[in-house]
Amino acid sequence: MRVAIAEDSVLLREGVAQLLTDADIEVTARCGTADELLIHVAEDPPDAVVVDIRLPPTHTDEGMRAALTIRQQYPDVGVLVLSQYVEVGLAMQLLADSAEGVGYLLKDRVGEVKEFIAALRRVADGGSALDPTIVSTMLKRHRTSDPLDSLTPREREVLELMATGASNAGIADAMVITQRAAEKYVSTIFSKLGIPATGSESRRVLAVLLFLRS
Amino acid sequence: MAAVLPLMPERHRAAPKPALLWALGVAAVLACAVTAALASVNEELYQPALRVLLVWWITLPYIFAGIVAWRRRPDSFFGPLMILAGFVTQLSILQWTSQPLLNTVGQLCDLLVAAVWLHLFLAYPSGRLAGRAERVVVIIGYFAAVGLQIMILILGGFNDLHVLTVAKRQTAAEAIQNVQLLSLSALALVGVALLWWRWRSLPQWQRRRPAQILINCFSLTLVMLAALLTAGTFQLPGFEIIRLATFTAAGLAPLAFLAGLLDARLAKAGVGELFVQLRTDPAPDLRELLAQALRDPTLSLIYWLPQYGSWADQDGNSRSLPASDSGRRVTFVKQNGEKIAALIYDAALGEEPELVEAVSAAAGIALENGRLEAELRARLQELQGSRSRVVEAQQNERRRLERNLHDGAQQRLVALALELGLLAERVNDDPATHDRLKRARSEVAESLDELRDIARGLHPAVVSGHGLAVALESLAAATPLEVHLKTAGLPRLPEQLEVAAYYVVSESLTNAAKHAQANTVTVEVSVTDTLIVEIVDDGIGGADSERGTGLRGLADRIEALNGRLRVWSSVGRGTRVRAEIPCA
Repeated sequence: MRVAIAEDSVLLREGVAQLLTDADIEVTARCGTADELLIHVAEDPPDAVVVDIRLPPTHTDEGMRAALTIRQQYPDVGVLVLSQYVEVGLAMQLLADSAEGVGYLLKDRVGEVKEFIAALRRVADGGSALDPTIVSTMLKRHRTSDPLDSLTPREREVLELMATGASNAGIADAMVITQRAAEKYVSTIFSKLGIPATGSESRRVLAVLLFLRS
Repeated sequence: MAAVLPLMPERHRAAPKPALLWALGVAAVLACAVTAALASVNEELYQPALRVLLVWWITLPYIFAGIVAWRRRPDSFFGPLMILAGFVTQLSILQWTSQPLLNTVGQLCDLLVAAVWLHLFLAYPSGRLAGRAERVVVIIGYFAAVGLQIMILILGGFNDLHVLTVAKRQTAAEAIQNVQLLSLSALALVGVALLWWRWRSLPQWQRRRPAQILINCFSLTLVMLAALLTAGTFQLPGFEIIRLATFTAAGLAPLAFLAGLLDARLAKAGVGELFVQLRTDPAPDLRELLAQALRDPTLSLIYWLPQYGSWADQDGNSRSLPASDSGRRVTFVKQNGEKIAALIYDAALGEEPELVEAVSAAAGIALENGRLEAELRARLQELQGSRSRVVEAQQNERRRLERNLHDGAQQRLVALALELGLLAERVNDDPATHDRLKRARSEVAESLDELRDIARGLHPAVVSGHGLAVALESLAAATPLEVHLKTAGLPRLPEQLEVAAYYVVSESLTNAAKHAQANTVTVEVSVTDTLIVEIVDDGIGGADSERGTGLRGLADRIEALNGRLRVWSSVGRGTRVRAEIPCA
């Protein structure tokens, strides 16, 4: 797998590059600005990019805009956005059209090496990776006559995993159950919440997010 | 308060003593009684009752108008002249008696009345004869009326009742009398011409209606007088009718004069209107209003500049006070004993000192109001400015701190977490070390969580980075309530506005969730030339913007941006918070 990195902190950039190299991932570019990344992607599209949301010169939304541009112009390139803070508003912006090949994680997650690499691979393969804090934040919302109240604790757990972009196998692993059992949970949740069952895992991420936001 | 000081105090005369005026009034009434008594004992008098009434008609109005004029305009000789005219008429009536000395006085004053009228009319309005022509006409008039009269009496003219007869020369006396009557008649007509010539040479704005009526009365009296004297000379028929008409006309002039004074009082009442106009907003052109109130379009208003020791007009051009013989007069507007401005107006307005005084008092108040208002505005602006600067400086400082945290401690801790993660991967074969490294990494993650909260509290970076709509979406998501966001089509706005609006929503949502026991909240943000943020919840209400420091702090922040924050929160009816911030 080939990955380009855009991160203005040298320490972190080199750290992530090291992490990827250790996991046998080829780092095709180490960029300090969004413009550098866009030029690199245009010249030599990688399988995925890891991009910091705040990049020079203004350190406001340069990384975010580069991510959106790449998603629009290079649909085959997975985009994993890293940030010191995760915002539901930004997640909705990133996932505006689809959850395919996109990820949005807290920067801290790079320390959870295995999970981080797995998320990156999922994004490169067209899947999704949303930070669990996004889903847990949205689940805290209270609704009058909330269909979420009808979920069992186990089902809520599955819902959270599903919303982060985990596959059925991933859910099964995380909950130490069989993949078959995981599939059953998923279909039960969909029918309880009234969400039409959709095939791909990234599509159901979006469906769950939209449901939680409504 | 404003004080008024005339430029030429030497022109101010003391007002006559009230006792004197009262005495004159009583004398006039007594004189009228004497007239009636004389008429009743004189058996030769033709139509005695009518004659008495006519005499009253041309005496009392002159004397009473003269008293009023003298009291109100002590500077002018016009009042005393009117009083004189009235009493001269009374004296001329003494010719009705047969007592020799009194009869002589009456005979002497017979035509003096005509000369005094001529003098009086030509001396309007100041009581002084303005030009050489007027003086010549009046002097000749007095000579003809008194000088020739004495000659006639010495030559034994009229009758034998007087004491002046030296030699009886009837023919000569009659010849002189004819010359006397005709010359007085001619002088009266010249007087009319002078009146009209002077009236025509006045500027248009000074030809006021009351003055015009008065000049018309003077002219009519003089023309009738000329006709009467001519009729007397040639002993024309209808003499009695002409006399009746002449005396009737003569009595009109003082009444017209009183009407003019009333008009001046009305002009003074117009000062009240001036005060009303001065209070309108935006501030009107003060000079224009004062000119209207004084009915003098040539009025100028100049200001004293103490730091330069000179006068200047409204635009700052240097100006000087007019010379005393320039036909202009000056009234100073004073403040705490110091002159602050001056009104320069046509000298003709000197005839209406009360009006000028009232108008300059109004000017003083208006100038003081203007000065206070300017001072207040300047202070408010200063205050508003310093308040905005405080809020802005605070916001800049908070943003700088958040940025430092983000680029410093947070990045380093993330790098540390990464390093610990990498190390843990490398010691997979040593579970104990692996677990300790993972625990260390979790500690770092906790610290990062705490730092994130601190950073977010310092400055909502998501607002400056991604705009209000995105930030509110996150706020709504993090609020444990049903939040309806209406932010469609919201453009990016200046950072200060977005951050202020963010805090309004954030604080309101926190209150709704924590205190209001609300289920649903609606957040609506719209922009025209004003950013309007409105948060409505269905909770228990009763929030108080003065008590809670949260809402008060918000109000300060909004007001520093020239906006305002309002809270409606009656108990049991939910809470509505509305912030309006101008975008300019």
